[in-house]
Amino acid sequence: MLKIYCLLVVSLLLFPQQGLALEPSEKMLFEKNSLYQYIQVIEDTAKKERYVRNHKREYTQGGIYVDAPDKLLFEFTQLIFVSLAFLDREPKDVLFVGLGAGAMPKYFAARYRDAAIDVAEIDPDMVTVAQKFFYFKENEKMKVHVEDGRLFVKRAKKKYDWIILDAYQNDYIPFHLTTLEFLNEVKSRLKDDGVVVANITSPYRNKFFDSMVMTYLKAFPHLVLFKGKKSANFIFVATSGSEAKAKDSVEARARKIQAARKFDIDLTDFASRYEPSETYAWSGAKVLTDDFAPVHLYQYQKSGAP
Amino acid sequence: MIKFVVFMCGAIVMSFEILGSRVLAPNFGSSVFVWGSLISVFLAGLSMGYYLGGRLADINPSSRKLALMVMAPGLLFLSFPLYGGPISDWIFMKDLGVRFSPLVASVALFLLPSVFLGIVSPYTAKLMICSLHTSGKTIGALYALSTFGSIIGTLVTSFYLITVAGVNMLIMGQGILLVALSIPLYFMHLTCDVSQTGVDRLMDDTR
Repeated sequence: MLKIYCLLVVSLLLFPQQGLALEPSEKMLFEKNSLYQYIQVIEDTAKKERYVRNHKREYTQGGIYVDAPDKLLFEFTQLIFVSLAFLDREPKDVLFVGLGAGAMPKYFAARYRDAAIDVAEIDPDMVTVAQKFFYFKENEKMKVHVEDGRLFVKRAKKKYDWIILDAYQNDYIPFHLTTLEFLNEVKSRLKDDGVVVANITSPYRNKFFDSMVMTYLKAFPHLVLFKGKKSANFIFVATSGSEAKAKDSVEARARKIQAARKFDIDLTDFASRYEPSETYAWSGAKVLTDDFAPVHLYQYQKSGAP
Repeated sequence: MIKFVVFMCGAIVMSFEILGSRVLAPNFGSSVFVWGSLISVFLAGLSMGYYLGGRLADINPSSRKLALMVMAPGLLFLSFPLYGGPISDWIFMKDLGVRFSPLVASVALFLLPSVFLGIVSPYTAKLMICSLHTSGKTIGALYALSTFGSIIGTLVTSFYLITVAGVNMLIMGQGILLVALSIPLYFMHLTCDVSQTGVDRLMDDTR
């Protein structure tokens, strides 16, 4: 008994102090220690932007332009949409793992009104924040399920055309959403020729990034990467179809969707950043499994790749 | 030697608890319900072990019997990879809900070993009091050692072990350690002569 109490007290003392310094132009709209994280909603009155973040500026999870809440503020959220060019058909069934500010599902739903969207989000307070501060709304086509992403995938009966994995926070990556077993479960929820896209942050090339490349390559036959220019984000696009999508076909498809769905972001430009996974694959990196996945250490270790 | 056993059992309980979170995550996630189940089941196991250990210690205690109490969780750990996955998968399939699934899984996987590891502290206390007569000091020292072991077990596992080896291998390693500890303990012949115990003598003096 005693030892657990001691551990609790120590962990409370070590818990980082809140209310970190704000810029003069920033004001706090909301803060809460939820079950899983410290959530802060900040509005920058000069830039007219609103963010949801944990503790530090670097830990921003999502955000919107106050005057144009239907646009995508962050580059990585825009870049995710290039993966639609890997799909030969309209996405009808879509799953987002991780909600954040809800900007991506909202943006997608505005362009694909017939698609059925599921969102798995572990933190009920994040859902409230997305609804209250970021104009996210559920409806009969878009449902949020407050559940651990891995459990939602394992229990899902449905198959999806497009699965978006965006449940990693910069300071905390749930290990059970990084493993080969998880990716195989995701693959089993994919329709034929479906597409999986993930957002992986790697400020410098770290061991976690190397391991993620190798783990995706083990689970999926084809992997293409897109690199952020403004941020340290990599977008992983994995497909399980028999053939890999070549760069020119992705570019052509991106151009087509861009016009057909009136995207206000430059999908064609994003498509031109297509990098085959061979560029980054390094066989020295370990594949992450349920048994062995030291993600929190690997995040802080430099890649050993030559 | 016997103090080392108490230290190691303290370390292994908490090390196993840390690894337990990794065992549960693939089937039950990492929600607060999982953490709540895990911690409460370990505490339940320990408190049952403390109670049981105290009772057993009053019936002809010997280091040979203690060795068996240490060996039992060792054997459970050594075979953990055989039953851990199947039991966890089976409970996942049963789907008892987000709260009960991880709770039932924790009971099935973690309760029995933590009962045995809980037995060790009071049992050792009795053995040592018999031979030393300074009960307060002995009990205090054993509590401190056991908890110090738990701190080391927690830190070493979460900071280091988890980054160098797989979860199943680590649990089996703990099994090997417990079995290895139990062997010299078995041949130590530390016993408590009931008529000669310090407590009894104390009782005689006060009478």
